[in-house]
Amino acid sequence: MAHRPPISNHVRELRDQHGSMTQAQLGDAIGVTRQTIIAIEQGRYSPSLESAFRIAKAFGVGIEEVFSWDE
Amino acid sequence: MPFQEKSAWVMSVSLILGGAYYFGIVKTITAEIGQLAPPILPTVVLYTIILVVISVVGHIAISILTPREADAPLDEREKAIFQRASHLSGYLLGAGVLLSLGVYLFSYSGDALFYGVFASLMISQLAEYVFRILFYRVSV
Repeated sequence: MAHRPPISNHVRELRDQHGSMTQAQLGDAIGVTRQTIIAIEQGRYSPSLESAFRIAKAFGVGIEEVFSWDE
Repeated sequence: MPFQEKSAWVMSVSLILGGAYYFGIVKTITAEIGQLAPPILPTVVLYTIILVVISVVGHIAISILTPREADAPLDEREKAIFQRASHLSGYLLGAGVLLSLGVYLFSYSGDALFYGVFASLMISQLAEYVFRILFYRVSV
């Protein structure tokens, strides 16, 4: 199994704050599948820098408000 | 379940059924003639047909169920999954071929070499799909 970096995110909370945006809608907005959004929310996958910026842009916030490095 | 995971299941089933058919025939002929059966072209052709038919029918079925996902290109996570699965299955293919060559050096049986390499190809291909399924379910 791949080593999981200590990265957490607030994607689910931000989706809820944005009118209950669905995982599929967010996936469409940033160009990934719904399953990849699920994996990101569950911490099973760390997105690329480009996708991380796209997610932040979709919510209209800075990247540091979506992702954080927990040590 | 993502389309690509369903696709990996279809391919795994087709490889298992095709492999079972192929080596079932080889086993039967070997038992009849009392020595390792030589590779037979029609059996290889039938194996290929079984693989193609199951994979085409299976992919048509899953595409009908999820047409939008079937058309979608791989995203970044899926590309990483495919790359990692392919990388690991490559080791299996290499090990199988090396083992087959080693067996040949001791047995000088071209037939055994053929089956060894063919089985290595089947196993590594099956492993690639199994790795994909596994990586879809755990972290990449």
